[in-house]
Amino acid sequence: MDKLHLDQHISHQFNKELEDIRNKVLKMGGLVEQQVTDGLTALLEADADLADVVAHKDFEINQLEVEIDEECTHVLARRQPAASDLRLMVTVIKVITDLERIGDEAEKLGRFTRDLTALSSELPSYRKELRHLGELVKSMLHDSLDAFARMDVDAALRIAQRDEDVNREYETLERLLATHLVEDPRQVSKLFKITWCARALERVGDHSVNICEYVVYLVKGKDIRHTSFDQIKSEFMNQ
Amino acid sequence: MSKTAQEAFDNLTHTVGQTQVENAKMRTENVNVFYGEKQAIYDVNLDIGNNEVIAMIGPSGCGKSTFLRCLNRMNDTIPSCKVTGSMTLDGEDLYGADLDPVLLRARVGMVFQKPNPFAKSIYDNVAYGPRIHGLSANRAELDDIVVDSLKKAGLFDEVKDRLDAPGTSLSGGQQQRLCIARSIAVSPEVILMDEPCSALDPIATARIEELIDELRNNYAIAIVTHSMQQAARVSQRTAYFHLGKLVEVADTNTVFTNPQHELTENYITGRFG
Amino acid sequence: MSNVTQSKADVESKERPETTSLVRRSLKKRYAAEKRFRAYGIFAIAASLGFLVILLTSIISKGWPAFTQTFVKLDVELSVDTLGVSESPTLNELRGANYGGAIKKTMRDLFPDASSRRDKKALYALISTGAEYELFDRVSENPELLGTTLSLWVPADDELGAIVKDGEDLSNPDSIVTRMSDQQIAWGKQLQDNGQLDVRFNTTFFENGDSREPELAGIRAALMGSAFTLLITFCLSFPIAVAAAIYLEEFAPQNRWTDIVEVNINNLAAVPSIVFGLLGLAVFINFFHLPRSAPLVGGIVLSLMTLPTIIISSRAALKAVPPSIREAARGLGASDLQVVTHHVLPLAMPGILTGTIIGLAQALGETAPLLMIGMVAFIVDIPQTVTDAATVLPVQVYLWADSPERAFVEKTSAAIMVLLAFLVVMNAVAVLLRKRFERRW
Repeated sequence: MDKLHLDQHISHQFNKELEDIRNKVLKMGGLVEQQVTDGLTALLEADADLADVVAHKDFEINQLEVEIDEECTHVLARRQPAASDLRLMVTVIKVITDLERIGDEAEKLGRFTRDLTALSSELPSYRKELRHLGELVKSMLHDSLDAFARMDVDAALRIAQRDEDVNREYETLERLLATHLVEDPRQVSKLFKITWCARALERVGDHSVNICEYVVYLVKGKDIRHTSFDQIKSEFMNQ
Repeated sequence: MSKTAQEAFDNLTHTVGQTQVENAKMRTENVNVFYGEKQAIYDVNLDIGNNEVIAMIGPSGCGKSTFLRCLNRMNDTIPSCKVTGSMTLDGEDLYGADLDPVLLRARVGMVFQKPNPFAKSIYDNVAYGPRIHGLSANRAELDDIVVDSLKKAGLFDEVKDRLDAPGTSLSGGQQQRLCIARSIAVSPEVILMDEPCSALDPIATARIEELIDELRNNYAIAIVTHSMQQAARVSQRTAYFHLGKLVEVADTNTVFTNPQHELTENYITGRFG
Repeated sequence: MSNVTQSKADVESKERPETTSLVRRSLKKRYAAEKRFRAYGIFAIAASLGFLVILLTSIISKGWPAFTQTFVKLDVELSVDTLGVSESPTLNELRGANYGGAIKKTMRDLFPDASSRRDKKALYALISTGAEYELFDRVSENPELLGTTLSLWVPADDELGAIVKDGEDLSNPDSIVTRMSDQQIAWGKQLQDNGQLDVRFNTTFFENGDSREPELAGIRAALMGSAFTLLITFCLSFPIAVAAAIYLEEFAPQNRWTDIVEVNINNLAAVPSIVFGLLGLAVFINFFHLPRSAPLVGGIVLSLMTLPTIIISSRAALKAVPPSIREAARGLGASDLQVVTHHVLPLAMPGILTGTIIGLAQALGETAPLLMIGMVAFIVDIPQTVTDAATVLPVQVYLWADSPERAFVEKTSAAIMVLLAFLVVMNAVAVLLRKRFERRW
């Protein structure tokens, strides 16, 4: 948090509160990342046990979300944060919402995997495409959390661009699955589960982009959501 | 005040929230204060706990200052002021025979709204209390007390080279910290603060607030403030006074995020009359 | 320009142009009023300064000559015969010796042309009677001078002295307005030509008490009388007044009694001073049998007069001490007395001293109450203690102003100068004291 000097308030208590919130967000990010990783592994390895764990572990993330929310409320009520402190609060509240959603997507991944393994114990079809998509999304999530931790605007903007790859990968997989479905309608329920899983992974990518956008808002004070990339690029990247 | 708020006030018989705490340093029960015919405080019950900062907020004339000043009998100088009910410090009756006001004020220090250093040097300002109470046997001991108090008040580094300079030569914030050092020098058990930052700029205010937060480890602190934000920042518990009644008291987080009484909500959100 | 603004403002709002133009119209008036007021103030200050300058120049120009005195050099033959004493006289004998005769003889020898009784008398009148005392002092100091011829400077008579001091031309008697005869002026001219006249600094004025002879009259007795009186006044009124003020301001309960006391103190300040004199006469002299004409009684009477002034100003000074200081001290556990002595009194001291000086200056200039207790007196001896008979400076001024001799006119002005100097010194002391107290912040 060096760039915003968040540890330089006269009130040590305030510094501590902000530090605490930040740490909790990073912890939550770590948990979410783990969930996504585990969900992906479970899917790719058709690991029913791991899928079960992922499907039931979401409550920890939810609990953290509630905790951070409350702490943010207290800081808002008691410290009347302004400027960078205020942006940090707003960012944190939004980031944890997205993190919680990612957690939900991971949970879905777990549940669908469990259902898939119940249908057949063999490894899923389209494993290669799924892994490819999963790895892309995982690295995006990891990097965006990293950008948040380091308040790195450039990294955040670069990561946001990677969503295009994810979308392309997802669309390819979607097309493959649709063709397969037409050819072999008996596989419908299995193929649908796989589609849902791919969908969940794609959503994780979207939420990661959101986090990156919040990082830009936090550091630069500019809201870049719903703005074309070229515009953003001209504004930030050539500085 | 809206009609419903007026009704809420009229119907107010009990303070909302927990008025007593487990480790109470000072306890007041059914305190009524009168100025002549006029009643300023109505049946207030409130504890001041050890190692906590309790903030008293409320609109002007709500009796919060009056209540605070009763806690070390500063109102004694007003002949028409009469206090009923029980006020105790560690179980000893403040207005009882065996607790002299001079002794009480040595145990319950006070910091005032306007920084009011004596027309003496910085050193003598801090040394004044220990001198009149005979707290030090010799000059070296007195030096220790002065340095220690200035350090605790976070002022020592700024004034160590000019302890002989007049106290009034300091800036407003420094003067107020000098006044706090002066109070600490008598090693009180409770420190009462009557709007200690109302005459200071935001940075000096932040310094004082930080100091209050540190002092909490050693003292029980009661602070009256006009600034709700300040109450929110420095206190662990907040008491809301309204027209002489204690409306609500609760931990500060609760008061500022989810006050239970309509009047408190109105005041805190700026909807007051 | 104004049209443009108006039309532009008209579009924006109807109220504004009206306010602006109204304000603009009244502005000139307001500034003019301010200018007028300043002019009045400057005029007032200039006028008062002018009067002050006139007063001071008149007093100083009139009083200046009083600080010098004309002396005559005489070679007195101290023969035992003329003095009428034995060869080795006792002190008593010396005291009774005929010094006047010796001086008269010297004068006769100087001016042998004065032969008639009238001429001789006129001749002797050139020398002050104080010459005899001067001679006696010298001889009694050193009896061996007997039989020798002593050369000494003695004071000239006031008329001759005044003419010489004023530098008037003794060779042209018609131009001189004086009671002296032309013959006397001629003698004076002769003395001057012989180098026997000299103008020197007038030490007599500061060393002697009052006298019927202007050249021998001095301010010392009155100065000491004033000093003693004021000392008594200060010692009595300052502690009493300050104590009373502190009690009334800091300790007294607010009730009917303190109200009565307060009203009475305010009234006392307005009582004519002669009433205090009557009171002093009735109480201190007739009842307590304190000595008449003494600075002790004068001081007591004047302190009665000064008390209300000091009490009122002291209370104002105490009231001006910010209550926050009292609260701070009390909040630290200082007792009421400690609050007052440690904090309130030091802060109020400059104000109290100012009030005291005003009171004492008033007392210094007061004559009326002293009239009643016998301090308007002809005092030759310099008072040594507070119970000796004495007079005070303003009374001395009054007495001298009443005397007809030319030399007393200058003496009157000189006494006023001394009185003013006394006042200045007193104020200076007060300012110094105040500075000392103020330096303690």
